Amino acid sequence: MEELKIEKEIAEEISKTFHSAEVTVKREKRVVVKLRDDLITPFLSYAKNNMNFIHLAHISCVDWLEDNKFELIYSLLNYDNKVMILAKTYIDRENPEFVSHTNYWDQAETYEREMREMYGINFKGNKRLTEFILEDWQGIPPMRRDFDTVKFSQDTFYNRPGRENAQDVRTTVTKKSGEEIPEIGKDYTVRNL
Amino acid sequence: MAFDIKGIISPFNALKQFGKTPHTVKYPYTKKEAAERYRGFHFNDLEECIGCGTCATICQNKAIDMIEIEGIETTTGDSGLRPRVDNGRCCWCALCVEVCPTGSLSLTKDYLHVTDDPDSFLWTPGVDNPDGEKIKSWVSDVEHSLLDYQRIPMRELEGKERVKSFAEVVLGYSEEEAREEAARCIGCGLCTDNCPVHMHIPEYINAIASGHYDDAVRLIYDNNPLGETCGKVCTRRCEDICAVSKRGEPIAIRWLKRFATETAANKEIIAEIVEPEILPPNGHKVAIIGAGPSGLTAAYYLAMRGFDVTIFESKAHAGGMIMYGIPKYRLPLDSIDKQVEYMKSIGVKIQYNTKVGTDITFDELHKNFEAVFVGIGFEVPYSIGIEGENAEGSIQAVNYLREINSERNIDIGDKVVVIGGGNVAIDAARVSRRFGADVTILYRRRVEDMPADWEEIEGAEDEGVHIKTQAIPLENILDENGRVKAIKYANAEMIPDPDGGRPRPKIIEGDEHVMEVTTVIGAIGQEADYSFFSEDIKEKIEIKRGRIVVNDLQQTSVPWLFAGGDISNRRADAISAVADGYRAVKGIEKYILEKS
Repeated sequence: MEELKIEKEIAEEISKTFHSAEVTVKREKRVVVKLRDDLITPFLSYAKNNMNFIHLAHISCVDWLEDNKFELIYSLLNYDNKVMILAKTYIDRENPEFVSHTNYWDQAETYEREMREMYGINFKGNKRLTEFILEDWQGIPPMRRDFDTVKFSQDTFYNRPGRENAQDVRTTVTKKSGEEIPEIGKDYTVRNL
Repeated sequence: MAFDIKGIISPFNALKQFGKTPHTVKYPYTKKEAAERYRGFHFNDLEECIGCGTCATICQNKAIDMIEIEGIETTTGDSGLRPRVDNGRCCWCALCVEVCPTGSLSLTKDYLHVTDDPDSFLWTPGVDNPDGEKIKSWVSDVEHSLLDYQRIPMRELEGKERVKSFAEVVLGYSEEEAREEAARCIGCGLCTDNCPVHMHIPEYINAIASGHYDDAVRLIYDNNPLGETCGKVCTRRCEDICAVSKRGEPIAIRWLKRFATETAANKEIIAEIVEPEILPPNGHKVAIIGAGPSGLTAAYYLAMRGFDVTIFESKAHAGGMIMYGIPKYRLPLDSIDKQVEYMKSIGVKIQYNTKVGTDITFDELHKNFEAVFVGIGFEVPYSIGIEGENAEGSIQAVNYLREINSERNIDIGDKVVVIGGGNVAIDAARVSRRFGADVTILYRRRVEDMPADWEEIEGAEDEGVHIKTQAIPLENILDENGRVKAIKYANAEMIPDPDGGRPRPKIIEGDEHVMEVTTVIGAIGQEADYSFFSEDIKEKIEIKRGRIVVNDLQQTSVPWLFAGGDISNRRADAISAVADGYRAVKGIEKYILEKS
């Protein structure tokens, strides 16, 4: 049997139909399609109606802070051959907006609500973009990379009594060695991981 | 009411379930095992853990503290601290496990903790759940880790190209490579303890990673004025204990230092960046014997503190062993000059071609200066102790390297044997290769016993140096003119040391060979020449195994006399000499200020 035969056939059909799409067979049962943002809707429609990808498994998002983009990812599943397509596109990070796909799948409503709450993306046409799981959330959406999780954690929760004896590793080492870190070094002692 | 047969039969339908596995919970209750990659409570292998604290740093919930644990000491390479988790704040994202450089931290299949005591959520993995070892489920592995275990490779000249000239072999990182390499550092700072000078390693690496090269240079010059030298030739003990090296390649700390210091192209730029704060002259005079790394370091920081410092150097150039011992393909002359010129520009005075004991007496120094620092190094080679050693064609590696580095040529012919296994031996061998000779190193032990850096040994092999191990020289065979024409050596076997020391070579009787050579170069170690000391000084100071005994501020038993470098430490490298010089500054300052 030819390796990844079904996947390659699917990839070929997508390439023929959507010339600008960048299609890669990632591995067995996994095909990735990168599309222009205005082609997502036609593609989802085509995949659902002509290629039997009838299930929208998930919508997710990646924050490309440095490029000022959000990447939206639609996971579609074909129950017959169990292949999953990941359809990806980039949208602007400033005032992020995209079209809703509630007309194609009812569950898109929930996924889009989640994306709005976690990333602040407005899905035009979704009639129920209301508060989802975060209650009374103020401030920037928490899954954005510029959200300071540590600060939020420190502001929201208290330190349990008994934690006062925590030590700093760098200070412990300098105490042993006798190293004196100069003033300009102190800004750089803060560890950036 | 009609009779309904279905109502009577349907209960019997349930019989078809007979014999099937029930979906209900078993009685007595058995705990169901969690999934294979379940993220439950933490477990920490206390032996593997080195207390780098990366888990505590990455934790987005600030749920991890580093705390002292009874029975675990702070040692070199281990902060002695171990993570403690507040399970009330942990969200089991497992980032801590993903960034653990040693792989000691993991998450287990254990996820049940029912209690009415909220304080019991605070516990130390490994200490409070020693059994966690058996139920580890979420573990990190090197291939999929968030840490980068692979070093950015350093570009070098190829072996065949190298032997054609004395061009610098290592080409250095580009800006992009340096920042990428610097970004691998987790900034724990454990390395600083193993550096004799305790340079501010995580800080300058962090500065490089963020593109602030000037700050990196300032941090390097804070306690090492020979940063560029060390960036090229340091023995880099820091890299030996790098946390990332536990499972991968250590951060290229030396190459990063090299990159940072080379961003300052000349002495003016160094001065502009470092902006040394030079105190006004305090009227105290200090003499330094020897412009090697220890002397230069002491002079630099003393000058910055307002002392009037003069270095007395017997040769025409400053640098000591880094100038005359290290071949120029490792440390070019321009680089040494740049560093020395910068030091002179802040007030260090150097009297060249002035040998203490010949051109000026030691007593004169004592009379004219309040304190004297001796950093004369080991320059007198040990003799190999074989017949024919003093014949023409038999030379010493330190003398050979000194002549070559002074741009004087020595004819070595086309077949050279180097005796020894240290860095000096390798340097002499690689230099000889550059003069076109066929070079063989004779070493009495095995390759793994060689004191030389492995990179140097590898470099020598790349350049076509033959290494003959377990070979003990017996005799230089001379021709009719009294010149060396061959060397006789015997093969040796390794005898394990019953006391647990390293195995010793023993000559295999009768297994003798003769190799024709044009030159024999000896490189089995050096010692110091203390002949310039007057008799009463020699009596007062303590010399143990050829080294002057000093206290932790480099002071000898004679209060005004300080010593550093090879003559006072056994490590015999530039960075230890720098450390001695740096410490001596504190000692000299303390001595003079207390006296006056």
